[in-house]
Amino acid sequence: MHIPDGFLDLWICAVMFLLTAIFWIFAFRGARERLGDKQVPLMGTLTAMFFAAQMMNYPIIGGTTAHLLGGPVLAIVLGPYAGLISMTIILLIQALFFGDGGITTFGANVWNMGVVGVFVPYLVCLAAARAAKSRTGLLIGAFLGAFIGDLLAAICAGLELGLSTLSFPYSVSIAVTAMAIHHSVIGIGEGVVTATIVGILLKTRPDLLQMPKIAPRWLGEPRVVAAEVRGQ
Amino acid sequence: MTMAAARRMVLVGVAVSLVFVAVGSIWLSLSAETFDEIAELFGASESPVWAAPIPDYEIPGLEGNIQANMAVGALFTLVVLAVTFGVARMLTPSRRD
Repeated sequence: MHIPDGFLDLWICAVMFLLTAIFWIFAFRGARERLGDKQVPLMGTLTAMFFAAQMMNYPIIGGTTAHLLGGPVLAIVLGPYAGLISMTIILLIQALFFGDGGITTFGANVWNMGVVGVFVPYLVCLAAARAAKSRTGLLIGAFLGAFIGDLLAAICAGLELGLSTLSFPYSVSIAVTAMAIHHSVIGIGEGVVTATIVGILLKTRPDLLQMPKIAPRWLGEPRVVAAEVRGQ
Repeated sequence: MTMAAARRMVLVGVAVSLVFVAVGSIWLSLSAETFDEIAELFGASESPVWAAPIPDYEIPGLEGNIQANMAVGALFTLVVLAVTFGVARMLTPSRRD
């Protein structure tokens, strides 16, 4: 889903940079307030792991391949602000050194995979965990969050492409439909892997899930994702 | 989390990452991403504004060389780890919780 240079009109690139910059400001401010020494090794380790995981391309339908994004796990374990910072680092290194994603489209790519692909899974997972108040609820939330997050990120990419009338000769509906159909399959993969990782962490390292989340204040108790399953 | 536990977690994470890099370089290296396929189908074309030094994760002249690809993946996994540590450290001026 890494959009290269030339795919988007410059005004779309500018708008996406601006929207993403707003989230960067809140994310760095939130991290400065809440990120503690204990979370630093976890944040570094998970970011490196998902950078490496993105190198594994698994085959899906139609002869194409997909890879894990990692945003949902980063969001659920670290919180969405830290997840956004981690995804920004991954996407920046991929764009600068590997040409995986463009420079002019960097804001759009961070928006799709680092904002939508991180905040949506966190919010869905949080809502599911609060509603079900069980381990199963958290796992279903992790799956649904990753699936919906991936799908919405793809729809955003389709919108950006479709609105780029100078660079992309097809309408919004065609671009969005094509992206949504393909990424509904990829989203299932992201959901299964996310729920599996969260399940493994719940069993083996629940302390990591109970660490304070680097998340917006309006979400309330930042440890709520783990707190909902405490005592299970 | 104690210093020793944190160190152990980082080492395990790096080891798992290197497994991902190896699997990605040896067995799951073929990249035909859905997004690129759709874009190509619709006639969109790239126009890079920056010449990446290691395009498509392969060192120029060593394309298809699994060992070189693994080395690049391993090196940049450590770079990502170091950069994230650096950024996170800058954001946590000696705070304990």
